[in-house]
Amino acid sequence: MRTRFCFTLTVALFLLCLPIAVTAAPPSVSENVQNCLGCHGNKDFSVELQNKEKLPLFIDKDALAGSAHASLDCSACHAGFSAEKHPARVLKNRREYTVSGSSHCKNCHTKFKSAMHIKMSEMAAKGGKVCVDCHGSHAIQHVQKGIAKDSAYCLACHSNQLAMSFKDGEKQSLKVDTEALTMSVHDKLYCSDCHFGFSVEGHPERVFKSRRDFVIAASESCRRCHFDKYTKTLESIHYAMLSQGNLNAPVCVDCHGGHSIAPIGKGRAASAKRCEKCHAEIYKIYAASVHGSALFNENNQDVPVCVDCHRAHNIVDPRTFDYREKVPQMCGNCHANKTLMDKYGLSTAVLNSYLQDFHGVTLKLYRKQKESGDTSTMRPIAVCIDCHGVHDITVTTGPQSSIVKANLIRRCQKCHPNATENFPDSWISHYEPSMKKAPLVFVINMIYKVFIPFMMVGLILQILLHIWRYTVNR
Amino acid sequence: MKDSGLIVDGKIRRFSNLRIIEHQLNMTAFAILIITGLSQKFYAYTFSQWVIINLGGIDSVRLIHRYTGLIFSFLTIAHIIVGSVGVIFRRWPASMVINKKDFTDAIENIRYYFGITDRPARCDRYDYKQKFEYWGVVVGGLLMMTTGLVLWFPTRVVTYLPGELIPAAKAAHSNEALLAFLVIVVWHLYNSIFSPEVFPLDTAIFTGKISVSRMKHEHPLEYERITGQSLEDAHAMETEAGKQGTG
Repeated sequence: MRTRFCFTLTVALFLLCLPIAVTAAPPSVSENVQNCLGCHGNKDFSVELQNKEKLPLFIDKDALAGSAHASLDCSACHAGFSAEKHPARVLKNRREYTVSGSSHCKNCHTKFKSAMHIKMSEMAAKGGKVCVDCHGSHAIQHVQKGIAKDSAYCLACHSNQLAMSFKDGEKQSLKVDTEALTMSVHDKLYCSDCHFGFSVEGHPERVFKSRRDFVIAASESCRRCHFDKYTKTLESIHYAMLSQGNLNAPVCVDCHGGHSIAPIGKGRAASAKRCEKCHAEIYKIYAASVHGSALFNENNQDVPVCVDCHRAHNIVDPRTFDYREKVPQMCGNCHANKTLMDKYGLSTAVLNSYLQDFHGVTLKLYRKQKESGDTSTMRPIAVCIDCHGVHDITVTTGPQSSIVKANLIRRCQKCHPNATENFPDSWISHYEPSMKKAPLVFVINMIYKVFIPFMMVGLILQILLHIWRYTVNR
Repeated sequence: MKDSGLIVDGKIRRFSNLRIIEHQLNMTAFAILIITGLSQKFYAYTFSQWVIINLGGIDSVRLIHRYTGLIFSFLTIAHIIVGSVGVIFRRWPASMVINKKDFTDAIENIRYYFGITDRPARCDRYDYKQKFEYWGVVVGGLLMMTTGLVLWFPTRVVTYLPGELIPAAKAAHSNEALLAFLVIVVWHLYNSIFSPEVFPLDTAIFTGKISVSRMKHEHPLEYERITGQSLEDAHAMETEAGKQGTG
């Protein structure tokens, strides 16, 4: 009984130790490799090159055994070296050694994944990359396991001063600002997410006519994720210009940047500055306006920036009827918002007083006509911007207000060429008629407000009395 | 007005052909002005927008409104001139002039409605209700013409006059239009269509003729003047004449 128990225990212990023994076993390499490691397993083993550079000759046995090439003999790569033969070599420097070492890879890896790899290795002498620069040497890993999707794979080359040249001779740096990349909103993306067609598997060589062509093509990749924004841009004047052949029309990266793409909504001033790149004149005028100066001088985040009126992606031609027709609503977005306007002591009645007046009504009816399919040309109707200005909007109170008033007649004359000095007064400036403002209008309205009901009640009473008398008489 | 007062087949000739045409033109112009004008005043309603779009858009509605306004103005001015000349130089009876009797008639009629007196006011050619409408159209028409012109040519007007006149003219024009529309729809249409005394339609202004019975009832003083007989004298005679009229 006792012997049997001891046997079982021993077997059980043995079985328990078995997996530990297997994992704990040192990585195995072939006998031939063991032979080489007799010398090359020595940590201090090194050789001095012609330029006095030290080339370490130590091979980490564990790394080698864990590598993709664990089953290979040393001579598989180091051709000509064996237990019997160990030719002496004269090497100028480490780089020459690395480049010549890489040439052996082609013995097995006959097919390069991409033309770019060939090109890079051909340029080895001029700073190009060779196999081991990216893949490592003795510790080489399966690509799928290690660096496959990692940006580091690409950055191995693209963090260096690389450049490509276009057909027109212009050059483009291919160095990626790694710091900007990690700060960007896309820091979690892989390079190949945007640079489709490029991966560990492939690196097609592309030829562009010019730097601009390259930038436009690069912007094409944004729509793979931001399709909603892309479809909006299709309606934009920028896209229309581009499709008409104006390559200077902005594409995604012109406004958003490339690798340094920043999160939107951080700082409205920055947003306005994006437009400045092309629209510098307008930007200057805007910066001096009541809105622009509040933004840049007081960092006021309530004021509109370019994209609030023009939209960001579906920017349309602001000279069209459709755009003009939307202006009152655009201004109304803020100027009819009570909470917002109360902060600045501004009236929210401005929108409705406009919409209910001659111009506002005409505009509304023109819109209805358009909606019903009327295609006749409609006259331009004065909207907010025609009196207040477009980018140069100023305050309407205080010492500046007289300037507004003085300018008003000239603005009226744009549509009413015969208008004279008194004409601007025919618009009672968004005020509700009262005894102080437009007393005549106020009194007339008041009279009718009393007179119409009085008259109608009187007449209806007479009619009812008449019917009653007629019925009684019958 | 040569044949005015002629009694044929129990009907008395009341309006000349000119007056009939005048009324019809006025009626048409007024209707067009109301349709094109009120649809602008009440632009927010779907029906107004439907009207405007189907008349070719707001620009063409304004054009129609203005030129119809011109026709209406011509009719009103012509009427005033013809009427004044007729009354002053041709010795036409000034039957439309408002006098003290109109006010006493109105009071008397209301007393009758309440049952205080047993018969309505005895009126002449035009009773006080008709005078009220007539002068409403003339005075209102003049107001609409002036304010309408101001709105048509705002820049010319304010070359000499203050700018505030434009919104004031707009307020007056649009309020007066609503008043005129309501008076016509409620009062005029009641008196000429829905009143049980004329239903389904008072045809006097279209045919120029009115029945003797209605004449005796509504315009007894004029009837007495035309026929020379007093309706007050014999109750029996009145009944007989009534039979004749309806027969």
